[in-house]
Amino acid sequence: MLLGIDVGGTHTDAVLVGAEGLLAWAKAKTNRTDLLSSIREVLGRIVPEAGAGRISRLNLSTTLSTNAIVEGLVEPVGIFVASGPGIDPLAYSIGEHYRVIPGCTDHRGRITSHLDLAAAREHAGACRRAGVSVYACVGKFSPRNTDFEETLKEVVHPQADFVTLGHEFSGQLGFGRRVHTAAFNAAVWRVFNRFADAVQRCAVGLGMSARVNILKADGGTMPLSMSRMFPVESILSGPAASVMGIMAVCDIQEDSVILDIGGTTTDIALFADGAPLTSPEGAVISGRPTLVRALKTRSIGIGGDSAISVVDGQVRVGPRRLGPAMCEGGQTPTLTDALNVLGAADLGDTVASRRGLGELAAKHNTDGPTLAQDAALAAVTSIRAAVIDLTRSVNDRPVYTIYELLEGKRVTPKRVYVMGGPARAMSGLLAEVFPEEVFVPESYAVANAIGAALSRPTLSAELFADTQRGRMLIPGLDVEESVGGDYKLEQAEADAARHLRGYLEHLRIPDPDTLVETVEAQSFNMVEDDMLVGRSIRVKCQIRPGVLQGYRKAVGCRC
Amino acid sequence: MLKARNSLGVVFFPAFDWAISPTHPERQERLLYTQDQLREEGLFDVAGIREYKPDLARVPDVDLAHFTFPDVEHVVTSSHLISAGGAMRAARLVMEREAERAFALVRPPGHHAMSVVHGTRGFCTINIEAVMVEYLRERYGVRRIAIVDTDCHHGDGTQDIYWHDPDVLFISMHQDGRTIYPGTGFPYELGGPTAMGATCNIPLLPGTGDQGFLHMLDHVIMPLLERFKPEIVINSAGQDNHFSDPITNMAFSAQGYAELTRRLGAQIAVLEGGYSIQGALPYVNLGICLAMAGVDTSNVREPDFDPERVKQEKRITEYTESLADQLLEYFTSPPALPKHGRVEGEWFVRDKEIHYDTDSIFERQLEKVRMCGECGGTVVIESRAGSDPVCLAVRIPVGACPECAKKGHEVFELGQRSRNYRRAMLVDRPGKSVKRVLI
Repeated sequence: MLLGIDVGGTHTDAVLVGAEGLLAWAKAKTNRTDLLSSIREVLGRIVPEAGAGRISRLNLSTTLSTNAIVEGLVEPVGIFVASGPGIDPLAYSIGEHYRVIPGCTDHRGRITSHLDLAAAREHAGACRRAGVSVYACVGKFSPRNTDFEETLKEVVHPQADFVTLGHEFSGQLGFGRRVHTAAFNAAVWRVFNRFADAVQRCAVGLGMSARVNILKADGGTMPLSMSRMFPVESILSGPAASVMGIMAVCDIQEDSVILDIGGTTTDIALFADGAPLTSPEGAVISGRPTLVRALKTRSIGIGGDSAISVVDGQVRVGPRRLGPAMCEGGQTPTLTDALNVLGAADLGDTVASRRGLGELAAKHNTDGPTLAQDAALAAVTSIRAAVIDLTRSVNDRPVYTIYELLEGKRVTPKRVYVMGGPARAMSGLLAEVFPEEVFVPESYAVANAIGAALSRPTLSAELFADTQRGRMLIPGLDVEESVGGDYKLEQAEADAARHLRGYLEHLRIPDPDTLVETVEAQSFNMVEDDMLVGRSIRVKCQIRPGVLQGYRKAVGCRC
Repeated sequence: MLKARNSLGVVFFPAFDWAISPTHPERQERLLYTQDQLREEGLFDVAGIREYKPDLARVPDVDLAHFTFPDVEHVVTSSHLISAGGAMRAARLVMEREAERAFALVRPPGHHAMSVVHGTRGFCTINIEAVMVEYLRERYGVRRIAIVDTDCHHGDGTQDIYWHDPDVLFISMHQDGRTIYPGTGFPYELGGPTAMGATCNIPLLPGTGDQGFLHMLDHVIMPLLERFKPEIVINSAGQDNHFSDPITNMAFSAQGYAELTRRLGAQIAVLEGGYSIQGALPYVNLGICLAMAGVDTSNVREPDFDPERVKQEKRITEYTESLADQLLEYFTSPPALPKHGRVEGEWFVRDKEIHYDTDSIFERQLEKVRMCGECGGTVVIESRAGSDPVCLAVRIPVGACPECAKKGHEVFELGQRSRNYRRAMLVDRPGKSVKRVLI
């Protein structure tokens, strides 16, 4: 049996899924200052019901890292960056212990000026005196040559509790993103590891021997052991859990839109031919872009608790949340109150909802039901506009070959899947503004936890080979090998897939469903003085996010 | 995080599946390292800088800029239509105020493609700036346009297309034609009789560095732009003046390019040549993008940059300074008629010989423009490529007077009846029609 937990901003949901379907579920209010207490609460309700020994896997999606970063509850990081010329590296500065170390590597991984070790040692000394004990070392073009980062690690390692290197996250280029990713990773390392320890203790305390996995922003999982080294990978896994949940309960085959309507936001995701779209660059957190692989989602400030206001005769919903809905004791009428007034929902004290809408309406020379209608319409109209905008930006994304430009697939959603608390109440209104078919799956309220439970591991690897220099690297997997001048694209594709599988085995991820797929494979002739001198080969392969097929049948519903 | 002072749209299209030949300078690898550099630098993470994909130019878009024989489909490939479409997209971004500035970082280039097109010359088949300029006029009604060509080679194609157009100021700054392809671009080339002074050529000595380029910009180009008062300034941004370029002999640096871009302040830039694909393009293109966006460029530098290497000799500095003074006077008070050509009744006639080096085609042209004094004048070209039959091309320009329009139609009709031509093409801009006839 699989246990899935999704720690959301408002609620912590847990589900237990067996071969025969959804066996149990629990919902608790999230205690934002002590996430573990919420996890302990839902576990305490579910585990005894199932019997601890029968749970083989616990998948956990948590906002811990996200919150720690967003709220600034992280520890100071000593950051070493070797940038060389280009955009001013101080633009990516984080915290007080950020230092640019002279030295430069070019786009092919050739060192064009040596690393200034004296400057590195000096910065290490300053950090030590300031009591800093976690570090991030990042070089420009480090996925093409990891030397500078390794050297910097040697300098700081003796005084460090933890050192993270930029190239360990991804072979994808993006220096500033690499700096942010490594810095955040080191910053949340200690708090995340304490949390991981506590989760493990709690599971053991309940008698569980299940393997524990952490959800990532790309909709996949990683083993808890791996998450201890790469805690930043657990950011923004909430929307990913929702998307995986819809995949689990509905058999999505076509281009589709997913709407997860929560208390404060609506998360939008897109599927192309039944597969969720990933954001090509990486997740953005706290305004800083990173290399953390993520599903392509967009969040807008409209949810059940969004306040209703009237500005210059225009009815608005959100983006602010001013406490709970009036039907739940709040002071300001919300979208949920409007849905109550319209009879689409029947939540809490509906009399309070009617009173709240009525009072606001009276101030603007209208009546409660009309205001409720206008508010609901404003909400669904905003959601639809955001969907159109997201779809357009996906279809407008850059492509780099004539083939792709002329043959490029466009995403044209045929269906809209809706989940989250207000999903059922909103479905009729959504159907009015969306020309596509609107579906609300039965388990819409806990689909996110089901998604967490059923998610499979994901991994990706970028291979870079330069036959003139005789080198092949897969930075994220720590692979560096010599290759001959006759090394070909097909070999590179096979090597990338082989190393990715090997890494899965190393992590002891047994998953017969996992399929390694090549998503990019390019080989460029390198010419100097009219002579072919070698090839620059780039391969990207991944294990696509997905849900466990065996259990999918059990939780699937008619969609 | 960084923020652009001017929002910038970059239309990036490296055409990773197209090349003239596997080892040709214009091959798949050309923008590969530029892409690596822009990605690694995080250019598109700078607030206000966004990447866009190109539009696709269509045959009617090409027809507004070129007389293509036998027809567009036979001469032009998808890659050319996408490259021109990239320039169109850049124009669209600026005109529709999606971005204050735009850079079409596309290949293949276009500035050697002339008014008549039989094939490819100087790696260029269709003139992507010209297709864009005609799109700006046709779709957005822009009238006065300046094109500043900073490629190391003379922009002879763009010059040819706008030779008779008083509303398009074409300025080309390049390595002296006596030392490099295509061998043209001398100061006496000032435009046709109805557009004298709307074409300006600034030949520079081999070895000219940052100092010389910026001197010409400040002392010739900026004053001419000030006088012409264009509604929009376009930069044909060739990167082959770089000291490391393998097919040219100049000493311009990435810092120099960035500074030139900043001072010129063009709304739209379109990539032209530049074949130092590892040593220059990644850094020059980065510098240009940052400069267009108004982001600090002071840390942009080539790995092998050495100030001594780009320092120009004293004789070059002296030559540059004296040439600048002469040129400005020449352009501001040009002679009454062009140096080459003759008056035949109401027409000004010149003979042209055009060599398509890439496709080994030799073309002879007889070009006539009507010296009407009211408008740019209807243009008539008889063109013979190799041993092919003669083709007739007639262009009634934007803003043509009724007399020129009438004359254009007459010449086209007569041409069809004369049996002198195999193919004829009429572009009637005021009448918004294009006719192609196989006789």
